[in-house]
Amino acid sequence: MTSGRISKMAGLLLGCAAFAFATGASAETTLKVFVTSQGQPAIWRTLLDQYEARNPGIKVSIELGGTTSDMQAQYLNTVLTAKDSSLDVLMLDVIRPAQFAAAGWTSPIASDMSSYLRAYAEANTVDGKVVALPAFADSMFLYYRKDLLDKYGLQPPKTWDELADAAKKVADGEKNPNLQGLSFQGKAIEGAVCTFLVPYWSQGKVVTKDGKLDFDREAATKSLALWKGFADSGVAKKNIAEVATDDTRKEFQAGNVLFAVNWGYAWAMSQGAESAVVGKVGVARLPAIKGGEQATCLGGWEWGVSAFSKNQEEAKKLVAYLSSPEVSKYMAINGSLLPTYGNLYKDADVTKAVPWFADAQPIVETAKPRPVTPRYNEVSEAIRTTVNAVLAGATTPADGAAQIEARLKRIIR
Amino acid sequence: MTTTSTVKNGAGRATARRALLSRWSDPDDTTLAVILLAPAAILLSVMIVYPVSRLIYTSFLDLSLTSGLPARFAGLANFRQMPDDPVFWQATWNTVLITLITVPGSLLVGFALALLANLPFQVKWPVRLSLLIPWALPLSFAGLIFGWFFHSEYGVVNDVLNRIGLPSVIWFNSPRLAFAAICLAIIWKASSFMAMIILAGLQTIPRSLYEAADVDGAGRVRQFFEITLPLLKPTIVVALIFRTITALQTFDIPYMMTGGGPGTETATLAMYIHQNTVSFLDLGYGSALAVVMFGLSMLVTALYLRMIRGNGAAS
Repeated sequence: MTSGRISKMAGLLLGCAAFAFATGASAETTLKVFVTSQGQPAIWRTLLDQYEARNPGIKVSIELGGTTSDMQAQYLNTVLTAKDSSLDVLMLDVIRPAQFAAAGWTSPIASDMSSYLRAYAEANTVDGKVVALPAFADSMFLYYRKDLLDKYGLQPPKTWDELADAAKKVADGEKNPNLQGLSFQGKAIEGAVCTFLVPYWSQGKVVTKDGKLDFDREAATKSLALWKGFADSGVAKKNIAEVATDDTRKEFQAGNVLFAVNWGYAWAMSQGAESAVVGKVGVARLPAIKGGEQATCLGGWEWGVSAFSKNQEEAKKLVAYLSSPEVSKYMAINGSLLPTYGNLYKDADVTKAVPWFADAQPIVETAKPRPVTPRYNEVSEAIRTTVNAVLAGATTPADGAAQIEARLKRIIR
Repeated sequence: MTTTSTVKNGAGRATARRALLSRWSDPDDTTLAVILLAPAAILLSVMIVYPVSRLIYTSFLDLSLTSGLPARFAGLANFRQMPDDPVFWQATWNTVLITLITVPGSLLVGFALALLANLPFQVKWPVRLSLLIPWALPLSFAGLIFGWFFHSEYGVVNDVLNRIGLPSVIWFNSPRLAFAAICLAIIWKASSFMAMIILAGLQTIPRSLYEAADVDGAGRVRQFFEITLPLLKPTIVVALIFRTITALQTFDIPYMMTGGGPGTETATLAMYIHQNTVSFLDLGYGSALAVVMFGLSMLVTALYLRMIRGNGAAS
């Protein structure tokens, strides 16, 4: 062949290759999902692999971030303020959708929310629009050592006073200086907001009503005094102001705690390979203040679609899949993550894997959400720093309650 | 007529082109100055002038990302909010206190370390290396490490206290003790920086001065106050300027050690700015706070510069 012909053929081949490459590349969409490192990313990965297999041309990658809810929020705040399009799907703490929607960071999703648990249908609907779909449910429970309670003939306590008495009885009997009566979160993390709210709600009080502040200072003082009392009397350890969620989990797992206030994830870990208390753990509702109702804090995480994603349709389809009953059941069985559909709690496969989920349903359904407001971060900061200050002994419960009220008055008008 | 003017214009353009080319290939002083300064000027404008002007502009806006409302001009409203904000006063006071404690503290410790390092060692590099390491360690790592040191249960400090017979102290429960722990960490970190600068200064003092002083019968202490200190004064002032401005911007170490706790007792101004902008998304108020910190830094720099100029005029 002549050189002219050769170069023409080479040009044609290159052109074909380039065209094939270009069309090939444009046919494949890559979605990036932001998952908190505490949210069982390994198990979500297997589900995403299944999704990729069912949807050729879609690749999903996970970006891990944020060991705590607050760290994750700071990262997302920075990325989304910059209108960055690198993240398509976001896993959000249940307290975030209101703020993210107000800032215009999530795309509305058309979805029927009636089959989800009511609390999550409400948490994810802002101004009548659905801004996220539930990933998994969660609330705070009372974990207890079945074996120790049985040894002393005690039942799981229904009031905080009963808990204090039970702790004292076991402490006197065991004479083990390493055994803590009660472990809860006193560090200034997001969970400390729940630490404050649980006894506060137990007295039948609310923080906001119809968007306005409805704060009861006396009930707040009583709530703070309850926790401080545990630290002072020795039921909880003196440096409880240093304890975060995972510290409680680790210490309970190591067998050094009688009662622990913690979220649902602690169950799977306590029955895992590294636990010293396999088979010795019971889960119950959190106790009530004497004369009040047993109340607990609503948790759980949601899937949102970033408003700046370049793949809106594909991201919404992925989110619909990730919040489907099939996925919820899989996560319940394999990750011990509480289902977001009411009918799954009594499902035979689920209860075989996680027996106490059957009793968990009424607890999750009556769990209360933290104040829903776009300025939630400021509310959270006001409450958790005060809880930390009171437990550290830097502020009295009465002053702490006054401080929370003063700061909330400036945030929630 | 048209042809002549066209020719004239063509000739004029050619001359202009030639003039421009000669300016670029053989520039005069002004052009050279512009060319050489241009990259730095562009860099400064992009990295400093533009962000700072934008910051000052935002501080006059009512801009909160969670309100969903667009930015609204609000004049001095953000600045008027500050005096009523108890956390602002606490954070500013904490920042000033940290500056007042850690600047002299790190100067003293750094000076001592520099004098130590200046002794005639056979092998110099281990000493230099140990001086360098605290400075090279990232601030957040230092904060994390010291946070663990002072942990009431798992920390080294309490372990040592227990071994010598003293009871454990819950460092982060007490605002004073937490503050002391933070200052300790900052002094440890900053003194290595001061030591390096002062060491460089010490090395420039000629040995002959000390030898002459020995001959004249001056003791070690007198030599220190009459030779070392006066000659080191410019070096010390430079080190102080750097250290003071950094101290006013303290963020990493308290953030990692206490997060501002207990409560908000150990929060600094930089931490409060970070919280308002990144967590609360109240960009207007956060910017106003940043402008206040900027003003504070400028004031301190002006004071130091006046001190230097004063010294210069006197000598």
